[in-house]
Amino acid sequence: MMDNYNAKPVLQINGLTKNYHDGPNSRDIIRDLDITVNQGDFLTILGPSGCGKTTLIRCIAGFEDFEGEILVDGKAVREPGIDRFMVFQTFEQLFPWKTVKNNITYPLKMNGVKDRDELDRIAEEHLELVGLAGKGDLYPHQLSGGMKQRVAIAKGLALNPKIILMDEPFAALDAMTRNKLQAELVKIKERENATVIFITHNIQEALTLGSRVMLMSKQGEIKINIDNDIPKPVTPASEGYGEMWKMLNDALWEEDESE
Amino acid sequence: MSNDLKTELRDQIIFIVCFIAVWWIVAKMGIVNPKLFPTPGAIGQAFITAFAKNGMISFVGYSMGLIVRGLVIGIGLAFICSALAVVNRHFYAIYNLIVSIMDLLPGVALLPLVICWVGIGEATIIIIIIHSIIWPMSRSLIDGFRAIPNIYVESGRNIGLRGIRLVTGVYLPAAFASVLSGLRVGWARAWRGLISVEMIFGTTGTGAGIGWYILMRRVNYDIAGVFGALIVIIIIGIIVEYGIFRVLERNTVKKWGMTAQ
Repeated sequence: MMDNYNAKPVLQINGLTKNYHDGPNSRDIIRDLDITVNQGDFLTILGPSGCGKTTLIRCIAGFEDFEGEILVDGKAVREPGIDRFMVFQTFEQLFPWKTVKNNITYPLKMNGVKDRDELDRIAEEHLELVGLAGKGDLYPHQLSGGMKQRVAIAKGLALNPKIILMDEPFAALDAMTRNKLQAELVKIKERENATVIFITHNIQEALTLGSRVMLMSKQGEIKINIDNDIPKPVTPASEGYGEMWKMLNDALWEEDESE
Repeated sequence: MSNDLKTELRDQIIFIVCFIAVWWIVAKMGIVNPKLFPTPGAIGQAFITAFAKNGMISFVGYSMGLIVRGLVIGIGLAFICSALAVVNRHFYAIYNLIVSIMDLLPGVALLPLVICWVGIGEATIIIIIIHSIIWPMSRSLIDGFRAIPNIYVESGRNIGLRGIRLVTGVYLPAAFASVLSGLRVGWARAWRGLISVEMIFGTTGTGAGIGWYILMRRVNYDIAGVFGALIVIIIIGIIVEYGIFRVLERNTVKKWGMTAQ
């Protein structure tokens, strides 16, 4: 792809295998996986339930032990760090004891940004970016689910991580809100040139957001790995959408029947 | 004030007025010894005398001084040990056992031992107060820490928090409802411990507290005076509940929408 011409790999996964070893016959959740993600990529990972996509992103985030190698900018991942920010599916990921603004500034403070004006500026800028200007003084319990996910994204962007990891962050939202947030996320990603890995079980979502789409099999292997060249913004009416959708849908059905 | 609260307050005031009225009628009927069952008026008089003539302020001040010192040390130790129990699995196993055992020992039962080891003095009372608060407080904290939703811990680790910063930044506020209930229980136990010990060995040479005051009223067969001192204790309890705990609750868990926990 053109925009990847000068791209350098931000994330390299080599021979990743994950097995919880929680029983005599425990199977590998992920098997010998290799993935490379370049600066500015928006990788969406599709897969049937239980294929290990959440486990994969949790390994990258550093929440799980694993075999193999995960390198972020050449540095091996062993535990969570602010170079990889995770946006979870649950609406409860914000700290209820902090205002919206402080939810965004707290991680910065904990990581060395001390200047109050600077913190205020970053918080306001990122709240505006996600369409929540002026909501900084509210507490999370006063926000809707969609607004909470926006704050979580703003919090991640403010930290300026090397990769933003998203584990089905819109899955619990109603369809209208989800579509809106998808469109906004595409714009935000372009503006910030962030690198994103986005887990979903929704083909429409994968095609709308991703510059690259991966499909994982039930055995925890990569079955499909293709560039998504449909021009943004992607709608079901976009050229090429139908074929892509069908190809991914067939692959998912095949996975479902392989049981 | 909401209507629910108004109704609640109204019911409570009616109850108190009726209670005093019945008390007064029983006392006036003369079926009980007025020395043992003084009228509300006599109790009110004793309450005023306690402050005006008997120096109640200094007794209260002395008791409060002891309890505050005991509370600060006890709460501080409970926080430190419970935080270590979060950070270290082995420490948790051992500390959990210690808390379970020690929480069962009444402070007064330990008193003879403490007197033998430390002697009779303020230190002894403070040790008993620490003993009465540290275990229930630790129990609330370690149970509260273990019950917090995993997502808060992961959100904290996600932004690079580890060890003690994870405890102060995430565990403590996330478990604040438990912290508050631990403080309430700890405070109540500390009061009991303090009053019992003061009654058992009276003055410490450097001063005397409310427990000693009550004992002296009883020795002087001044039952109205005993009731007067009990009212002082009740008032202190109300001030602490409404002036500290309720305010703390309103500005933390209620404001954060975390009261459902």
